Amino acid sequence: MNALEIRNLVKRFGGLTATNDLSFDLAQGESLGLIGPNGAGKTTVFSQIMGELRQTSGTITFMGEEISTLSTPDRIAKGVSRTYQVPRPFADLSVRENIRVGLMPDSLRAMIFGTGDTAREGEIAQSVGFATADLDRPATELAMGDLRKLEFARTLATGAKVLLLDEVFAGLTTGEIAMIAELIQDLRQRGFTFLMVSHDLPAMEPLIDRAIAIERGTLLANGSFKEVLADHAVRASYLGEG
Amino acid sequence: MNLRPHHFLLWAAFIALMFAMPQFVGNGTLRTMIFACYLAIFAISWDILSGRTGYISFGHPFLVGIGAYTTAILTRRYGFPVEASIPLAVLFTMIGGLIVLLPALRIKGSYFALVTLAVMELMYQLVPVVRPDLTGGTRGISRLPALTRGAENGYYLAAGLMLAIALFAWLLMRTRLGTALWAIGMNEESVRGSGLSTTRLKSFAFLVSAAIAGLGGAFYAHYLGTITPRAFFDINVLFQIIVAVLIGGAGTILGPIIGAFFMVFMLEWLRPFLPGQERFFVYGLIALLLYMYQPKGIMAIIDSGWAKLRGART
Repeated sequence: MNALEIRNLVKRFGGLTATNDLSFDLAQGESLGLIGPNGAGKTTVFSQIMGELRQTSGTITFMGEEISTLSTPDRIAKGVSRTYQVPRPFADLSVRENIRVGLMPDSLRAMIFGTGDTAREGEIAQSVGFATADLDRPATELAMGDLRKLEFARTLATGAKVLLLDEVFAGLTTGEIAMIAELIQDLRQRGFTFLMVSHDLPAMEPLIDRAIAIERGTLLANGSFKEVLADHAVRASYLGEG
Repeated sequence: MNLRPHHFLLWAAFIALMFAMPQFVGNGTLRTMIFACYLAIFAISWDILSGRTGYISFGHPFLVGIGAYTTAILTRRYGFPVEASIPLAVLFTMIGGLIVLLPALRIKGSYFALVTLAVMELMYQLVPVVRPDLTGGTRGISRLPALTRGAENGYYLAAGLMLAIALFAWLLMRTRLGTALWAIGMNEESVRGSGLSTTRLKSFAFLVSAAIAGLGGAFYAHYLGTITPRAFFDINVLFQIIVAVLIGGAGTILGPIIGAFFMVFMLEWLRPFLPGQERFFVYGLIALLLYMYQPKGIMAIIDSGWAKLRGART
């Protein structure tokens, strides 16, 4: 069973077609790169998978169950979650409290009367590379690399097994890119499934099993990273060749 | 919830201090404190919704007014006992708020604020003309049954109500729900992206906020004995509530209480020097300067002073 199956996905904003009859699969445990030039519609695909944008037509199936009409919290409860191009931390909350929000059940009663799992908060923080001393640091004090880690931690806290990573290396230094790449490799070994967007192709290449390329929401190529980059249409649109 | 012994000690000390007040101050000061207690209740109510989630409500007097008018109409027009009219006032405030203001939670920022302001102004215009036989028109309703006799008893009732509401709000905000509401104010999309239904959370915050506003409005109406549209559905009431929260410190429980007492007493202290409306100008100026100095309010000044003190000791 595939983790994700996207079929004939179309998204129109008035006269603009942002996603154009797009279909692809993501196998469980696979890491798939989604590449394309600026404005190709990569983030729009993510937003549709997460239910933040409702598709004009087409279907999205997650672990064999169609989720096209579910709300974002319901999709996250099924096990899919995303990170954003620009990290969106809860600035005045500590690292621990940011992770706590991800761990919360979507139930008022449980949120009021239930007890939190501080041990689990610490475990998740450590699993993405935070030290114990970092747990009470406010998010405002974190550098960009740590904010990315925090976003990973909050995403993992939701219990997601399929992670959509949007421009995961944007704004990072060389050292931070290596740190995040190592984290992704670690998560891959632990069985997580990834759909990943990045303009940093050299950094992304070792982290993916396969790639798809889109332009103006239309699928251009689907195959190994090398095959996709060698594709004539991809080179023309993405690399400006030919 | 992570409650520690010093939390209970601090609350016990605060409650003891409030209840010892009548031994140290005269009836005039007690009456001023009663107004401060009711303003603090309205400010806590506003803060639960707006201070936490960032949805700035300009229509809060509308909720306070529903509570006040409901209990006034039920007791004076229909002969309900106060024991029944006040719970019904809370219920009506929640229902009225749900019908009128809850849909507005779908819009954000200044649009939400403007819609809530429009609702309050609409109420001010409608109350005098729709069923004036019930609402008393522009003259309002007078001779409401009193809940207490004398300044001291009135103070104990107002302070007890304020402390009970403050303790309830404090306990609620220390739960994970409080953290989630706080997180909505920082980044609502990220809360939704963490798998939480923000509509449900905001609705809950709104209902709690409305219930407290209605409860405070109902008790306040019986304390005043007379209510008029201008006393509740008025922009000045709104400003007093918001300024109390901002001066004291939004997103805290003690902040709105401190802000309310600060404001009410400052106006009283200015009265002998500036008996006219000029004192509102001076009061506005002081509030503005304080806000410019520390936008997070008096609580932030206290917190930073406390941190410095602890730092100096270690």
